[in-house]
Amino acid sequence: MSELNEQDIKKRLRRESFKKNWNLFKQSRLGMVGLYIVIFFLFLALLQPMLFITGIWNKGVYDPVVGYEPIKETLLVVDCPKSNEYPTEKYDSFYDCPARGEISRKTIFNEPNLKAGDYYEAFIQPAPPSSRHLLGTDSLGRDVFSQIMEGSQVAFVLGLLSATLGVGISTLLGTIAAFFGGRIDTYLMRQSDLILMLPTLPLLFIISAFAELKVWHLAVVLGVLGGLGGSVITIKSQALQVKVKPFVDSARITGGSNMKILFSHVLPNVAPLALLFMVFSVTGAIASESVLSFLGLLNIDMSWGIMIYIAQTDGFIFSGLRYWWLILPAGLAVTLLAGGFYLVGRGLDDVFNPRLRKR
Amino acid sequence: MLEYVIRRTLQLIVVFFIFLVSSYLLFNAIPGNAFSNLLLNPTLPPDAYEQVLATYGLDKPLFERLQLYIINFFKGDFGYSYKFFPKTPIELIAERLPRTLMLFSIVNIVAFYTGFLIGKILAWRRGSRSETWITITSVFSYTVFYPWFALMMLWVFGYKLGWLPIGKFLYPEKWYDAPFDSDVVFTSMIKFTIAISFLQFLAYLATRGIESLNLRKYIRFSSLLLIITGSYFYWNSSNMIIQKPYAMDIAYHMILPVIVVTIVAFAGTALLTRTTMMEVLKEDYILTARAKGISQKRIRDRHAARTALLPVVTSFIFTIVTIIDGSVLTEQIFSWPGMGQLLLQSVLEEDIPVAMATFSFVGIFALIAHFVADISYSYLDPRIRIKSQG
Repeated sequence: MSELNEQDIKKRLRRESFKKNWNLFKQSRLGMVGLYIVIFFLFLALLQPMLFITGIWNKGVYDPVVGYEPIKETLLVVDCPKSNEYPTEKYDSFYDCPARGEISRKTIFNEPNLKAGDYYEAFIQPAPPSSRHLLGTDSLGRDVFSQIMEGSQVAFVLGLLSATLGVGISTLLGTIAAFFGGRIDTYLMRQSDLILMLPTLPLLFIISAFAELKVWHLAVVLGVLGGLGGSVITIKSQALQVKVKPFVDSARITGGSNMKILFSHVLPNVAPLALLFMVFSVTGAIASESVLSFLGLLNIDMSWGIMIYIAQTDGFIFSGLRYWWLILPAGLAVTLLAGGFYLVGRGLDDVFNPRLRKR
Repeated sequence: MLEYVIRRTLQLIVVFFIFLVSSYLLFNAIPGNAFSNLLLNPTLPPDAYEQVLATYGLDKPLFERLQLYIINFFKGDFGYSYKFFPKTPIELIAERLPRTLMLFSIVNIVAFYTGFLIGKILAWRRGSRSETWITITSVFSYTVFYPWFALMMLWVFGYKLGWLPIGKFLYPEKWYDAPFDSDVVFTSMIKFTIAISFLQFLAYLATRGIESLNLRKYIRFSSLLLIITGSYFYWNSSNMIIQKPYAMDIAYHMILPVIVVTIVAFAGTALLTRTTMMEVLKEDYILTARAKGISQKRIRDRHAARTALLPVVTSFIFTIVTIIDGSVLTEQIFSWPGMGQLLLQSVLEEDIPVAMATFSFVGIFALIAHFVADISYSYLDPRIRIKSQG
């Protein structure tokens, strides 16, 4: 009976401390903004499979990788003036012709009989946003909004997986290094030196050259690299501070074994910092994935980085705002999700670090 | 203490050896080699490819090559570049390094000062509306998808407005009849920058003791003016006037990368300064200073900011270590032919001698910096010192 009571008390204490921390977190307004952003992208990531399962979205049209919908547009056929005739009444410069809704007669090859003033039905491949395609389609006729959703799935899987793995490794190793010291400590510290010595981006290039990186592989690689690198040192310094606290000594006096002290006294006290690290490393993982996809080095079907890569290789990035739906959504999505996780991390920082709180 | 240093040095050598071996093996794990593309030529005689491999020693077994490389490395012989054949990796690094250092030293200095200033203001104005907006801006620039942002800036300033050049670090047509190569100009520009920042730092040190904040501000401002006029005369002096137009050309190409990288880089310092400063503001001596009736500005600048500076400077030192690593992406986007591009190209083209030399250059840099940081920590913090002996 008393055992059950003890468990009840434990549970209630945990609930209370969670509630207290949640209230503290709610006080930081930017942290809440970050949480909303993260929830929004999580919603997007979960929405896409829902839409496919319920049949609201047809896979043939809305699939982010192989979907296609021919969108026709009637264009006015015009004759563009020669380059030395600008400016004319209609066009200021060479770049203004053909304007929106027009097509130059020279670029039509399949119907040579058309004259200026006629109408021509064309497939438009980067189609502008419409009610069917909220963010338009890309240069291959694929729905951009669906790609954004797919990209947020990739970002969540990758970010959370690599952050969990990395922080798990670094917390365990850092605590062990601090707790046992001596040779183990020396070995672990030199190992993280070794990882820190390797330049990150070129290293990832090499790895992507001899291994075809999928999302899972990249998550493991990033997690292991992050987990063995600098964060071990930071976690170790935190664990060193915990190790000299009186409650560790009293646990030892009452006969706690090394393992018991390590796992039930030192680790829980390092955990808040580890959680913080995890949230911040999600930001880093998302950015790394995007950079690698942007450079075309990953074997992933679709992600935000690949969307920008496609927009760049197809030459839309210097077309400015005319094709904004190819450039802005993907870049903003990376920035917003990374920023959202960062803001959540800052909010948690306020919770766990009492010296940062408002009075 | 001495024992600790010696032990660390020994460990350092072992780590570096492992680093060399593992990175050599990594480069060799990439399928193909630097001359694989010769095979694409159908008219190539069958034994020519083998002959090329034999010339560069690539026909030997991996273990033998590794052994040779390591032995030669410690003799100071880094081999020849595969792609730029007669040049050695050292020559290539000596050519590329000044360009990277020039760009990123300016970026880091500017980013550090703006970041520290903004972080100070952020912590001080806690809870106000301007704090929220500045924080949002800095978080945005901290987490912005960097290549995308850089391309957008290139589009706006380089293409749409046409104010600044798109990529490259000079206009080749201006350099046809230049009496020297660009590295001479880069070297003198680096010397000039170092001298200026040193003078400014001296002025800062000299005025540190002045009590009146206003007087100090005026003196610092006039010293800045003095340095600017001095540098004007320096660049118009008889020695430097030949180099001046070329230096101007390089400086013109540097504006956009410097702005973009600064925008991305300042936020890290700003956010860190805010955190440390807020921790400092909770200390008792700030309360004491407030109770003594010292003006708010003085508390901010002299009591809080100076203490908060320490961890920020530490992180700044570690940022310097990652300069070359971090320059890879920037130099790729702005096609700035520095160390980062050399590193990237040599990795992608499997130019193993150059890649190994750049990797070990970066590695030695990082290793020594960590070593120095560790030693100085253990010197400054007695707790670590005792532990290292026990």
